[in-house]
Amino acid sequence: MECAFDAKNLISISLRKIQSSRTQRGGIKLHKNLLVTYVLRNARQFYLNKNASQAQRSPPYEDVTAVHEKQDYLELTGSFTELADDFYCNFTGAEADSWHCGAHQPHGQLTEVPHQDASSCALVSPNDSDLMLSEACWSCADKSWELPVPNTQANQKTVLDLDTHVVTTVTNGYFHSDCCAQPKQPQGAQCHRKRKMDTSYFIVDPEFYLPDFVPVPFKRMRSDDDSHSDSEQLDNTNISNLISVLGSGGLSEFVSWQQTDLEQIFGTQTICLKHTLFTGSGWTRAIEAF
Amino acid sequence: MMAGPGGGSSDVQWCFSQVKGAMDDDVAEADIISTVEFNQSGELLATGDKGGRVVIFQQEPESKNQPLRRGEYNVYSTFQSHEPEFDYLKSLEIEEKINKIRWLPQKNAAHFLLSTNDKTIKLWKISERDKRPEGYNLKEEDGRYKDPSTVTTLRVPVLMPMDLMVEASPRRVFANAHTYHINSISINSDCETYLSADDLRINLWHQEITDRSFNIVDIKPANMEDLTEVITAAEFHPNQCNTFVYSSSKGTIRMCDMRASALCDKHTKMFEEPEDPNNRSFFSEIISSISDVKFSNNGRYMMTRDYLSIKIWDLCMETRPVETYQVHEYLRSKLCSLYENDCIFDKFECCWNGNDSVVMTGSYNNFFRMFDRGYQQDVTYEASRENSRPRSILKPRKISTGC
Repeated sequence: MECAFDAKNLISISLRKIQSSRTQRGGIKLHKNLLVTYVLRNARQFYLNKNASQAQRSPPYEDVTAVHEKQDYLELTGSFTELADDFYCNFTGAEADSWHCGAHQPHGQLTEVPHQDASSCALVSPNDSDLMLSEACWSCADKSWELPVPNTQANQKTVLDLDTHVVTTVTNGYFHSDCCAQPKQPQGAQCHRKRKMDTSYFIVDPEFYLPDFVPVPFKRMRSDDDSHSDSEQLDNTNISNLISVLGSGGLSEFVSWQQTDLEQIFGTQTICLKHTLFTGSGWTRAIEAF
Repeated sequence: MMAGPGGGSSDVQWCFSQVKGAMDDDVAEADIISTVEFNQSGELLATGDKGGRVVIFQQEPESKNQPLRRGEYNVYSTFQSHEPEFDYLKSLEIEEKINKIRWLPQKNAAHFLLSTNDKTIKLWKISERDKRPEGYNLKEEDGRYKDPSTVTTLRVPVLMPMDLMVEASPRRVFANAHTYHINSISINSDCETYLSADDLRINLWHQEITDRSFNIVDIKPANMEDLTEVITAAEFHPNQCNTFVYSSSKGTIRMCDMRASALCDKHTKMFEEPEDPNNRSFFSEIISSISDVKFSNNGRYMMTRDYLSIKIWDLCMETRPVETYQVHEYLRSKLCSLYENDCIFDKFECCWNGNDSVVMTGSYNNFFRMFDRGYQQDVTYEASRENSRPRSILKPRKISTGC
């Protein structure tokens, strides 16, 4: 009989399969990854249903989920963006005169960008003077970490690693390289990564992150819990926290970020982020700030 | 395996015949067989492996002393069909693994087959040479050219017998037409065209033309976010050159008529069985994905294989299969473990016997199953080389789930 534990286990296994598929010989197997995302979706839905009461304690996501209510839940929407991006990067060569890697942009156009193996990058903060935890009132959008004004043409998100105080800014699916293994850069400077990727994801413990199908550079977060955390099993609290932050429309929400009103997300999720920050266990270090 | 003498299907006895390949368990990755295919007469058996090689076995002629016993298969030809490639533009390695082999109908003494890896299809000619010309006027026997001034007489070269040599030569290379991984090739009954299918598209080729192909099916959505299924197999109808079917990862089969339109995105028939809600699980989508589709020889039925079952469809009825056979239902309770070790993604094939009365498919642990449609019987055999003497009759196996 399927149980919540099996669902969490399946989520973990599925994410690992997706990640390992990137390094498989012959390229990403579209068929297999599609099936894995179905399992991921089923497990997530089962887990959310089982933890409905916990989700109710979290800030309501009516605004966001309402957007997706109309979506046929059996239909994969959005969650394939990352895979599509990565796959598109790999397979547009035959459809265009020259290969280019194009993450999805709101207007659907592509931008030609050189390609680089992203795995060599690490997260480095351009500056961390403003990223004091004591100031982590995430709902204050006007704080001075230079959060760009979101707009439909240049949607931006800022990802904060609370361990290393690394700030990474995402613009239109471009993962600005804060992540290059370079010394600190002057405030405001952003080095652009050579490879574009859709980074609607949480930077969390490598054993558990959203199905970002693009090779995401990450490093293991130094955590007090690392010494006793089992990399093969996920802590109940960790998963609950993550899924509560994700919300009932989590996967779709993340991968279709370009279609979502960022202001709505900002208002509804910041409270939850605070909740997660202060109640989550140690491994939930990096959260997404808007 | 060979079938013993018998009239009806139930009288057929299956016997062990021979085993080809490495006998030990330490097999190199490249030597793992990835596809097998008999030619139309059954005289030749082609195997493709992960190393891109094709090995063809030929059956010995029937012995006059024992006319009812078919000869054994021996190696006939071996050649390297595909090599590993690297797409520098996309930073992708293209595996040399042979995904499918299909024999072309024989028209002359030579044999032709199509072999494909993930990206490229090749047409090979396998021909025999047992004679060689001797007595050239301008060439020595070793091939060196003579000085024309030394030639004083002329003679007509003659063909002299030589040791049989089987040559495999690539005649056509059909490349750069598939963005995604090729999973199927199928020869058309018109003996001129064939189709190749990848995850999202199906192309129609002419056997003589390599620089172009026609895209006849394209299920790639405008936005990849909307992708919900992929093509898993495709096959031409055995008699109707305008008809083909393709199966999907959602468990549906679509039949298309190329006379209706150039682009067959709109199917003429769609075969789909409603899902049983009682069997709903995390893995419902995976186990419903069709891994193989085969038309019956008479062209009236088709068979599909998904992870746990075989279904026989009447081409005139789209709502449900006419027959369903459970191959290894005992695995349904173990799907979670099978998912974890990736076995759930294994793709099984299926086939019809000559008169469409029996269908066969494989399972795990060297088991294969045969379902007699007429007598409604099924039998499980083990293809094991251990404790198997040539001509020994296979004993049916029973699967015990245990406690």
